[in-house]
Amino acid sequence: MSDYFERLLANPTSFHDAPYHEAFTLSREQIERLHLEGARKRFAELRPGLSVLDKLAREQGVDAIGTIDDVAPLLFPHTVYKSYPISYLERARFDKLTRWLSGLTTSDISHVDAGGIESIDDWIDLLEAETDLMVQHTSGTTGKLSFIPRTKRQWRETIVHSAIIIRDWWGAGKGPDILRDGMPIIIPGYRHGAAATQRGNSIQVDLYARGEENALFLYPDARFSADVASLGGRLRAAEARGEAGMLDIPPVLLERREALLELERRRPDDLKHFFAEAQRRFGGKDVYVTAMWAILFDWAEEGLKRGIKGIFGPGSVLLTGGGKKGKEMPDDWRDQVLEFLGFDNFYEMYATSEMMGLCMMCENGNYHIPPIIVPFLLDPETGRPLPRKDGTTGRFAGLDLMPQTYWAGLITGDEITISGWQTPCACGRIGPHVVPPVRRYSEKEGGDDRIVCAGAPEAHDRALEFLAELSM
Amino acid sequence: MSDDFRVPLVIRGEIIDDAAIGHVGRRGGVSFRAPDIARHVGKLPLRTPSLMADLYALGFEDILDYLVELGKRLDFGQNRHVREAFRLSCITSGLSESILRFHYAHLGAMFDRAEMRRMIDRACGVDYLEGWVDQGPGRFPGLQARTRAFGARCVHVIAGNAPIVSVLTVIRNALTRSDAIIKLPSNDPLTAVALVRTMVEMAPDHPLTKHISVAYWKGGDEAIEEAIYDPRGCEKIIAWGGFDSVKHITKYLQPGIDLITQDPKLSGTIIGKEAFADDATLRHVARRLALDIGAQNQEGCVSARVIYVESGTDADGLARANRLGELTFAAMQALPDHLSTPHKAFDPALRSEIDAARLNDEDYRVYGGRANEGAVIVSQEDYPVDFSRQLACRVGNIVPIDSFETAVRSVNAYTQTIGIFPESLKAALRDRLAFQGAQRIVSLGGAATMQHNMEKQDAIEPVRRMLKWVTEEQADGAQLEAMAG
Repeated sequence: MSDYFERLLANPTSFHDAPYHEAFTLSREQIERLHLEGARKRFAELRPGLSVLDKLAREQGVDAIGTIDDVAPLLFPHTVYKSYPISYLERARFDKLTRWLSGLTTSDISHVDAGGIESIDDWIDLLEAETDLMVQHTSGTTGKLSFIPRTKRQWRETIVHSAIIIRDWWGAGKGPDILRDGMPIIIPGYRHGAAATQRGNSIQVDLYARGEENALFLYPDARFSADVASLGGRLRAAEARGEAGMLDIPPVLLERREALLELERRRPDDLKHFFAEAQRRFGGKDVYVTAMWAILFDWAEEGLKRGIKGIFGPGSVLLTGGGKKGKEMPDDWRDQVLEFLGFDNFYEMYATSEMMGLCMMCENGNYHIPPIIVPFLLDPETGRPLPRKDGTTGRFAGLDLMPQTYWAGLITGDEITISGWQTPCACGRIGPHVVPPVRRYSEKEGGDDRIVCAGAPEAHDRALEFLAELSM
Repeated sequence: MSDDFRVPLVIRGEIIDDAAIGHVGRRGGVSFRAPDIARHVGKLPLRTPSLMADLYALGFEDILDYLVELGKRLDFGQNRHVREAFRLSCITSGLSESILRFHYAHLGAMFDRAEMRRMIDRACGVDYLEGWVDQGPGRFPGLQARTRAFGARCVHVIAGNAPIVSVLTVIRNALTRSDAIIKLPSNDPLTAVALVRTMVEMAPDHPLTKHISVAYWKGGDEAIEEAIYDPRGCEKIIAWGGFDSVKHITKYLQPGIDLITQDPKLSGTIIGKEAFADDATLRHVARRLALDIGAQNQEGCVSARVIYVESGTDADGLARANRLGELTFAAMQALPDHLSTPHKAFDPALRSEIDAARLNDEDYRVYGGRANEGAVIVSQEDYPVDFSRQLACRVGNIVPIDSFETAVRSVNAYTQTIGIFPESLKAALRDRLAFQGAQRIVSLGGAATMQHNMEKQDAIEPVRRMLKWVTEEQADGAQLEAMAG
């Protein structure tokens, strides 16, 4: 116990493979000491090599962290990891994008020559080939991709971390030990890509499935393309620039148009193949499944329609989260997923792309914040930290102490409630936890029938439709 | 939390104020109570067109008399309805109290007799409202034609970002002898109510009072909207703002209903290289630019957001653009508080974008933007910020360009007003800007004055379109009979 805590203090990254159940046995004093000392350590180590953090610290006039609230002004707005101008993408200025990224990581990427690069996918691949980075991008639903400079080592640590969580979340060794014993993996999505849900695939195939023959993907050969994901935001930017923006439709997207449309056309066949393979190769076996809820539901609904029920073994596990993503789902959607999958060992998380740590849902429906994440609730108006008092609601911000090459301290767009500071959760885990629901501030602020005359229609997320409509 | 606001339903002079249903307002946690419109909706549309006849017993001068008298009764010190509208707007509006006080103190000034007459003269001509106007000789010998402009039964879905929208709607409805149902906006539900209640108190049985109704219902309530947007009781819909709200109304369109939209728009600025002639000129330009960005707290469609500046994009050019940004921000801070103040409800999503831009000094220079004081963001290449559509709360984006060609090509059908400096550049560009989609071209600094052409908006003439242009033709009977062979 004490060893565990001392190790975390000395090296917060060691949390990734430490027994997970112990994380919630630390006392509040220990948690607070870890938060304060960990934040000081990361700030001191990272500031000299991260120009953006240094700039923010100078802007805010913070040179030392006296109390934990001094960290709040040092948290990045979530927009920082997408603060590059979209013109870099339009004009294929990947040299500039590289320089922009270099301000956000201590990994040396100065030797990378991205001069001839024309697409985001190629740029991400180049960085992977020539540096220790394995850049992750977000899904682009908000119109612009964030790029998070995670390292290869951090990705491996993340995958190890998930396996440790699965093993220990419901009690030490209560779950399958995937790292020790291996487990087939089933993913109803793309095999390749650099978005959060694809980036760890290769490592999962390696560490969990121990080979491609033990893994099944809906699109085993396809890549979730960052260039396509970014198209919605780029179209919006282009529309805002009128005719001047129309000149800049990236040729690389036009070239890929056919392949993308082909993928859409093949979707029914791919789905059929996926179901057939799932039944033939993995039916009744214990497997590891991971996907966001919305995607899982699509898959389950489709499977039930085909009369498939209880497809996997009772010892299977599901790692999931992500909410409904604005999708219309029936009230019994969870039951449908369960009925289709045939097991109920669900691990549900609340997480953000920029952090490595995950907040897992307990039997009481609360998401427990691991001690390695320093959580803040900020006043949505002033940005000032609110007191650590149970039941307080505010804008969620946090600093994840695990990453040691980039600043994982950031302000999210989520409104949440935190408890567990004074009174622990009834599940027995000590420390702060998020009490659902989690809401996006952007949803809260819209949706009424206020009418003003200022504004302009937005391009919606319609990348493929747009490509399909283009006359070639 | 304030929940003591009541929004009555006024149907042709009858005030219903039973506060049956609670509604959530926009800002400041405000809520208000209004009657259950479902119980009264049957009385709202004017299903019998013959009831329009009473308006035609009035002469144009009678209508002006009525409106002038109404204007006098809107005195802020005396009129409790106006004060109540002001009190609610102080909570729900994006405009600060000092700006709103100025607006509400000057409501009556809009009812200037001479100005109302000029407005109608420009829009359609008083003679067309007053009688049948001969259309002159035609191709067919002996045929004469006469045209008269008649009012229509209209539903007005008005915007709530400034009280002037309610005032304009009341004036336009009366002068055109139309019948109006005003759908109140949740961000200003009481200004139109104040005007109409004052009308009821002033002249309860007057035809102009009997031809205006105001109602709040939550936009999208299908049971209610199907009853109201029905061609048997509604000939025209005048819809302001809100892409979603306009789009939503289109589903009720069918033959017999004419939709007049005042679409959501954005406005911008083009500043020529002459601005940089010397420091005094640049300061002058900055003060005028500050007006276009900051006036009415950038809440209007006329407010400047992206500002193209012909400064050049080399190092010297960027320095010039940055200097303009710095001066403009300072000038914006000095604007008088009846015109502009720090925004009381600064958009948090925009703040996140500004905070991130500030940390990216290779691509942006940010002046201000630390709290709610507003900001000027200067792009360091010839490209607007990616969040240009979100610019609000007194935040402008200066974009340096080498040639105004870039600026001209950036104008599209959603561009309403463009402020230009100098005048010579305006004269040179105005035709091209019009092709591109621009709808109003003004001297830099004049975007928010709106002193001229209140009857023209978004390149349409809403007053003219609110009217029905009816033609009467007269031919010689024998000639007509001859055609029968």
